[in-house]
Amino acid sequence: MNNRMKQNRRVFLKNAAYATGGLALLGQMRAPWAFPEGYSNSKNHSGIAEVNYGNAVVGGENIKMTISRQQKKIAGDIARPITINDISPGPLLRLREGQQVKIHVTNELPDSTSIHWHGFILPFNMDGVPGVSFPGIDPNSTFTYEFDIEQNGTYWYHSHSGLQEQLGHLGPVIIDPVDGDIGADREHVIQLSDWTFEDPHDVFRHLKVAEGYYNYQQRTISDTVNDIKKQGFVNTVKERAMWANMRMNPRDILDVTGSTYTYLMNGRDAQTNWTALYKPNESVRLRLINGSAMTYFDFRIPGLEMTVVAADGQPIKPVKVDELRIAVAETYDVIVRPIGSNTYTLFAESMDRSGFVRGTLSTELGKEAHVPTLRKMPERGMAAMGMSFDMSGMKGMNEMDTSAADAKSRATSSGSSVAHMNDHSSMPSRALPVDDINIKHDENGHGPGASMLANNPTSRLDEPGVGLENVKHRVLLYSDLTGAKEWPDTREPTQTVELHLTGNMERYMWSFDGLKFNEVDGPIHFRYGERIRLILVNDSMMNHPIHLHGMWMELENGNYPPPRKHTISLKPSEKVSLLISADAPGNWAFHCHLLYHMDAGMFRIVSVS
Amino acid sequence: MKNTSKIFSTLLIGLCASSNAQEIPSDWPKPVEQYNTGMILFDRFEYTRTNDEENIGVWDMIGWYGGDTYRLYFKSEGENKQDDGEATDLERAELLASKLIAPFWEFQAGIGTRGTLSSESNMENYAVISLYGVAPYQFEMDNSIVINEDGDVSFSVEAEYEIRVTQTSFLQPRLALAGSLSESERFDRPSGFNSIRIGLRYRYEFAREFAPYAGIYWSRSLGNSADIARNNGESVSETGLVVGARFWF
Repeated sequence: MNNRMKQNRRVFLKNAAYATGGLALLGQMRAPWAFPEGYSNSKNHSGIAEVNYGNAVVGGENIKMTISRQQKKIAGDIARPITINDISPGPLLRLREGQQVKIHVTNELPDSTSIHWHGFILPFNMDGVPGVSFPGIDPNSTFTYEFDIEQNGTYWYHSHSGLQEQLGHLGPVIIDPVDGDIGADREHVIQLSDWTFEDPHDVFRHLKVAEGYYNYQQRTISDTVNDIKKQGFVNTVKERAMWANMRMNPRDILDVTGSTYTYLMNGRDAQTNWTALYKPNESVRLRLINGSAMTYFDFRIPGLEMTVVAADGQPIKPVKVDELRIAVAETYDVIVRPIGSNTYTLFAESMDRSGFVRGTLSTELGKEAHVPTLRKMPERGMAAMGMSFDMSGMKGMNEMDTSAADAKSRATSSGSSVAHMNDHSSMPSRALPVDDINIKHDENGHGPGASMLANNPTSRLDEPGVGLENVKHRVLLYSDLTGAKEWPDTREPTQTVELHLTGNMERYMWSFDGLKFNEVDGPIHFRYGERIRLILVNDSMMNHPIHLHGMWMELENGNYPPPRKHTISLKPSEKVSLLISADAPGNWAFHCHLLYHMDAGMFRIVSVS
Repeated sequence: MKNTSKIFSTLLIGLCASSNAQEIPSDWPKPVEQYNTGMILFDRFEYTRTNDEENIGVWDMIGWYGGDTYRLYFKSEGENKQDDGEATDLERAELLASKLIAPFWEFQAGIGTRGTLSSESNMENYAVISLYGVAPYQFEMDNSIVINEDGDVSFSVEAEYEIRVTQTSFLQPRLALAGSLSESERFDRPSGFNSIRIGLRYRYEFAREFAPYAGIYWSRSLGNSADIARNNGESVSETGLVVGARFWF
């Protein structure tokens, strides 16, 4: 229904554009930095320097970025995204480790704006969060960011003001290592994002006033009939009754879905098919960035194995996978070796299977490969209701429940298929520090802002996550990630901080420990110079990508060295522990990176002093 | 020169950090803002045809404005019998302050009025408290206790349930029960349960915001109210067909 209306609207807008000759104004089809040739490592070319991409690729020590709002064409329709240097998504920022950079950001919007450099280690007053690191950039003024580049890898930047990120105020960042080696013959940036033609404030209001507004994949009578056929009447009723009793919905996978979103790859939708070129026998580095406001993607290239070499910009020991889930705000670098001169589909499916975007990896333009169909809408299991999945009586009641339990036993038993498939799970599963840490809920159950408590949260790092439990190929797990090198700080933690991820879906309230940002007295305090163990417990039924600014979080997943990340995604009823060196004095933002969760109050300030 | 400035800026940042780390200037904007929002929902806006071949227009709406915890509600419900020359019957018009007291429940308190909207009307003004929210098993409920100027206490329970037929169509049973704890002579309300009304409707969403529906209902007077009706020669129960729309903005 909704899609049909969208379709009609599109046709209308297209006709309008033809009628007014508007198409001539709307040249943009892809992000101009996402040139099909990518970036070549060959010594003969110094890469992009030879080609003039104008200000769509910015680099050097003095960079200008101008933010405005312009009429552009997105997915064939006229839209008004926020542009940076006249394009949306914004220009590719290419820096080099060890350099100094001055970035002059001019605001031509009628509202205050900002740019946050996501994943950067820098002084807190350069971090770009209005109200935390600086007052924001006023209309018609310029703010100069100035900092040293102390890292390399794949990152991104985006507005931290209001809901501007949803309007396309974002862009990719590549920081080359000192030697300039990209670790492959060629590289491509693949930035995923979600675009809506609605006003982001309308989206937020819909979530607030009408729960399930965007979910057109809910259980219906015919699903109930099918389940009765499959599992019998009693089991079906019991399972339905449990969800209904909790006032929850097993098909709450993503809050905002393909019913309003058009998913984009480097600014292009599936129809317009962004194409990445390679030459036979080359190794190709794909820099995956999830710049979405609300969408988790499952990314795969049917017929091509991916070797994951970096997570959140930081190098990891290579892991071979066939598919990976990329949470909002995460980045992964994968290396692929296309066979012969085959053509491949770059396929990114939203986690709730409500839509996808695809591109093509090919030796020449204009080709395309088979595009997979969307998989079935997954359902959440018992863990999403805050229940532990080893409650024996519950087993078999729900497909997802059993598969979640299976995934757990598979990952721990050495003869299992998953253990064979994943390079790193051949190691025996180690006891994690977080297994022995008892977590505590507030006495009042985190108040009315929390409609669920995880009774028995567990580590779920070795689970692929909802919808991927039963796939037949290798899926990247957080337990697969091992740091490529030792990190400088190996001290034991001396301060422990525990935070619970809480929410009330019915009223779209999101918080930490049941308290929204405007309800807390002050910041979370990390003692300067100490080693912090941060324990996160997900007391909600949704996945949350939790992002700490300014400092790395080392994920205690039992591997040594641990992987370090700027964004950690938690599954329902999951607990994780993270090690942080509190070496960055100042105030830092700490929040859920789902844009509307953050705006609803799932935000804290971490003060290091 | 470069290095000096680097050292200087590092020092400066270090100084700022140690002095400013805790305090964020009060004139900076908040990193995330809390907004108030609201909606007006006509849950029932319908035309009823009873078994006595009467045509009745019915409305049942709420409006609210506020944040996550505190909200202001306006609730109104009533009907107008067509072509009988009589005035509209206002079943309730209430203004309430609301507080979220549990994840799924709001406690509401306010004032209201009801009666026939005619010039010689005898409006019943009252104070009301409500428990408004979603009960386990997904029943949407509005439970109210009302005390009028004479001290008469009455109560009402309304519950709705949704069965999803397709992604955009719903079967919705509905129950409304009204009663009085004390007798009110002035408003013809004996004590005990007064009435029950059960309805079932099928609605089709053209958009989340607009869904026409058709349905049936059955209502009956209960207890002493039924006796009074019988004595007056009126029928105790009524069935009817409804056609209408649920819409919000």
